[in-house]
Amino acid sequence: MFDLFSDIFTYRDNALTRIDPRVKLVVAFAALIAVVTAEMVILPLFVLGICLATVAALRIPAKLVVARLAAPLSIVAVLVVIQTFVTGTTPLFTVTLAGWQFTAKAEGLRQGTLLGAHVLGAVSVVFLLSVVTPAHRIFQALRWFKISRNWLEVAILMYRYIFVLMDRVADLAAAQKLRLGYTARGRAMRSFTTLAGATIIHSLEQSQRTHDAMRLRGYRGTMPFGPLPAVSGRDRRILALCLIAIAAARLLEWGVSG
Amino acid sequence: MIMHRRKKSARIRRAATVAATAGTLIALPAQAFAMHISEGILPASWAVLWYAVAIPFVALGLRELQRRSEELLYFKPLVGLVGAAVFIISCMPIPVPTAGTCSHPCGTGLAAILIGPGLTVVVASIALTLQALFLAHGGLTTLGANIVSMGVAGAYVGYGAYWIIRRLGLPWVMAAFLAGLLSDWATYAMTSVSLAAALHGGGSFSAMFSLILIAFVPTQLPLGIFEGILCVGALKFVRSRKPELLRMAAGGAA
Repeated sequence: MFDLFSDIFTYRDNALTRIDPRVKLVVAFAALIAVVTAEMVILPLFVLGICLATVAALRIPAKLVVARLAAPLSIVAVLVVIQTFVTGTTPLFTVTLAGWQFTAKAEGLRQGTLLGAHVLGAVSVVFLLSVVTPAHRIFQALRWFKISRNWLEVAILMYRYIFVLMDRVADLAAAQKLRLGYTARGRAMRSFTTLAGATIIHSLEQSQRTHDAMRLRGYRGTMPFGPLPAVSGRDRRILALCLIAIAAARLLEWGVSG
Repeated sequence: MIMHRRKKSARIRRAATVAATAGTLIALPAQAFAMHISEGILPASWAVLWYAVAIPFVALGLRELQRRSEELLYFKPLVGLVGAAVFIISCMPIPVPTAGTCSHPCGTGLAAILIGPGLTVVVASIALTLQALFLAHGGLTTLGANIVSMGVAGAYVGYGAYWIIRRLGLPWVMAAFLAGLLSDWATYAMTSVSLAAALHGGGSFSAMFSLILIAFVPTQLPLGIFEGILCVGALKFVRSRKPELLRMAAGGAA
């Protein structure tokens, strides 16, 4: 799972990573609203296409794209099945399974497909945002948008130490495996709970060390957030262009569906 | 007589549909990430509503964080590190034999025992944001609903169970087990409510709710029990080795 977590691609130098994080957050938010409120599948699928094309142009490994989309895709499949067989009245086709008859309905299939398109479109927007914006820049932008300082401080500490603890937990798990800690079900359970307990001990001890180090660097209860520079003229134009494009696409879709 | 037969056949049809859909869910080979409502599933109105429900709980937790970190300067780093630990524990894959898939614990029951339910909501909201941004689990539009199910329901039900059992003078092992078990089940029940409320359309809410709940049962029933055992095992380990750390996590209150 943690192979997927790496934000290594956000440190590449390209046209999208150079854009101000505030601009990217606003555009992503607008795109999400457009996708979630879409009444036809065209707009979400169009957004999905654009995001995937951009991701491909940025040379993000296909393996990562597939891994990130695997869980949402499975959810889409389930949603389409549920909606098709549960919602609606107009029969489409009937499936006989172990003597039981299941009738798919046109309205349900339409609704399920729309919901699936929403999920794929929205997930692709967030995925694109996450491969072009490092976490600390997102936190900085969120602070600029007046998100709680305390929330962001804990978020920064959590994000920083997830990777530190992860390495230690991986070492402990490898040591447990070498000592046959997972060979039988009962033993595996004991090993797993021990691993969880050891993770908590490590985290609490690390919190003391982190606090001491922070105090030495002048920490008095709040962490400083570096100010973000004013949004450049180029980024302002990008923001305006993206918002106009999203609004136009949404209005066009509204006109077609209405 | 005819009415009775029709009702019976409708019930059978509904049960068959529920069974078939649950079967489809179980048959899917993907890891069970069903705990988080995926990005884009909730209509805009429901997404806004769940945000409105979640925000007061997060604000309450942040107020508690502010108060306790003014008293104890180490408290914010401690909450961040406990959050990181719980995040890692909640990402550890567990094979679920009944469903033939892998799932993962919530960790909210354990976190609630360590740092209290209010701060667990804060930690859960951060964990869910990071997962939505960098792992495509959950989503930004569904963040409010996910905070309510995992953070609020999971933390308060888990902590409530722990607190009541301890007040009754029963052993901590039982309290920790029930905290883990009930926090997990409460999370899934709340997720089912959120999904059913948004997706039932013109149909019945209760039918959709039971459908989703039944779909969760094969993974969540054993996983809840496992989460209870995990809670007991992890706490037992810490209590036996470094009990003073538990007092530190509770902010000197325990």
